[in-house]
Amino acid sequence: MADFMNLIRNENMKMFRRPRLFVMLGIIVGLVIVFSGVWFSVDKGESAMWEVVITETMFLYWIITIFAAIASASTVAEEFSSGTIKMLLIRPWSRSKILLSKYISSLLFALFFAVAFLASLMLVNWILFDLLGNGTVDRLSDVMGVSNIEYLFKYYGLLFLGTMMTVTISFMLSTVFRSSILAIATALFIEIVVNNFMQLLAFVKYKWIDYVLFVHLDLTKYVGGNEYNGMTLGFSLAVLGVYYVLFMVLTWYIFNKRDVAA
Amino acid sequence: MGQPIVRLQDVTKKIGSRTIIDKLTLDVPSGEVFGFLGPNGAGKTTTIRMMVGLMSITSGDILIDGHSISNQFEKAIRHVGAIVENPEMYKYMTGYQNLIHFARMIPGITSHRVREVVSLVGLDARIHDKVRTYSLGMRQRLGVAQAILHNPKLLILDEPTNGLDPAGIRELRDYLRKMAQQEGVAVFVSSHLLSEMELMCDRVAIIQNGRLIDVRTVQSTDKAVIARTLFEVDRPEAALEALAASELTGTIEGAGNIAVEGDKLFAAQVNELLVRSGIKVFGIRAEIKSLEDQFLEMTGGEGIG
Repeated sequence: MADFMNLIRNENMKMFRRPRLFVMLGIIVGLVIVFSGVWFSVDKGESAMWEVVITETMFLYWIITIFAAIASASTVAEEFSSGTIKMLLIRPWSRSKILLSKYISSLLFALFFAVAFLASLMLVNWILFDLLGNGTVDRLSDVMGVSNIEYLFKYYGLLFLGTMMTVTISFMLSTVFRSSILAIATALFIEIVVNNFMQLLAFVKYKWIDYVLFVHLDLTKYVGGNEYNGMTLGFSLAVLGVYYVLFMVLTWYIFNKRDVAA
Repeated sequence: MGQPIVRLQDVTKKIGSRTIIDKLTLDVPSGEVFGFLGPNGAGKTTTIRMMVGLMSITSGDILIDGHSISNQFEKAIRHVGAIVENPEMYKYMTGYQNLIHFARMIPGITSHRVREVVSLVGLDARIHDKVRTYSLGMRQRLGVAQAILHNPKLLILDEPTNGLDPAGIRELRDYLRKMAQQEGVAVFVSSHLLSEMELMCDRVAIIQNGRLIDVRTVQSTDKAVIARTLFEVDRPEAALEALAASELTGTIEGAGNIAVEGDKLFAAQVNELLVRSGIKVFGIRAEIKSLEDQFLEMTGGEGIG
């Protein structure tokens, strides 16, 4: 089992040791700095740090999901397009384990970016609004009645479940179609179209709509309580869970069956 | 020769209704360099893909060191090192990182072994450069390095001399022969470079359209079966008459030469006969049919079917 860690180390090496990592990190940190800078110059540092953190999360977090989806889409598809899949699969490891190591490493990459994003948000806004600004009102804790950190972690937990789901879809598509473009395009579609319009769909009164995957991808609507528009967090998680199992089974089945002729 | 390391039993591959490989049966013992010859599209790479588990086998089985590649994949592949088609590597990593990557996937490979293999394939100077800067020959060397990292019992190389310069080809040939003879490795090499195979292999299988046409031992010069012998004589016509008197046939080849078909022993008998008949023999020259001639004869220069 210790050997399986080596597979994950390999996948992480291939994930992280590339120039794109720095491009992605640069974009994220850059956006946070620009956003917070503009905000700071507009309201002269009146806002509370936590408010800025949460608002910027709502506006910018989707980029993390996109980056995570890109990474997970390329992890399988690139092995096929470069032909290295042949080198990878002729080792004493079952295809299932190799795929699992890739999946775990995709999730780790997503987690790394979510943490990096949150950390840069906290740091930049702490400097701007706490050290330099004069915002003293802690509005979030007033409104929500929970401590800021707890609220933030709950919010990010719900966000990350959605990211995991998108990463899983992207991973599945790139395994099934061996094309990272298709997987990335789908992830973009989910993030941009679905998350903006599906909320509207949720108001349409057909029973089947409650079982559509996309309605449940944004779980942050439950952050204030356990119910939203007649659905509960538990229900959403159950629907996501069913889709998740379905996607995983399909991904693994196809990867194990496939003749590698790349 | 040892016990068979790899055994193909009635291996058949069908894609849709097309039969790509038709009931291929082969044994390769340890310590042998085995050549796999065939024109383009004959099914060489498909066979190799099935041997390393990249493709499923429609019927039949492939055993490596006694383990079935389809049912006991992890055990069977454990002792296989391979390059399938081109030696594709992660271009954004260095050669060394690539080797570490593959070394991690098999227990017991030390960093000492990795360095040993690097100098064995002669890449010391460039191993810490990114693979994207490598020439085809250097990639081929890196490919060989990853294939031999874990001291495999079976080495499968698909067109290994592609992109190597003459010195590199010779080096690889010597190395493969050494691996086979000294370490008992079974080496399975596919190629369409016939003259190369002749120098490298102990036995050669020829396939065409997915079927095994022939397996033969590569003859060293003194054992060649099919040979023509040229005799340079003073009176060719008289020589033919002398042969005809003993119910043998020959042909006149150019000025002052006659040719007879037969092995070495037969040539000696012909010589004796000519000398006894008072014909002056100035020279005897054996013409060995090259593998290439035999190959083209057998496959009939047929197109891709």
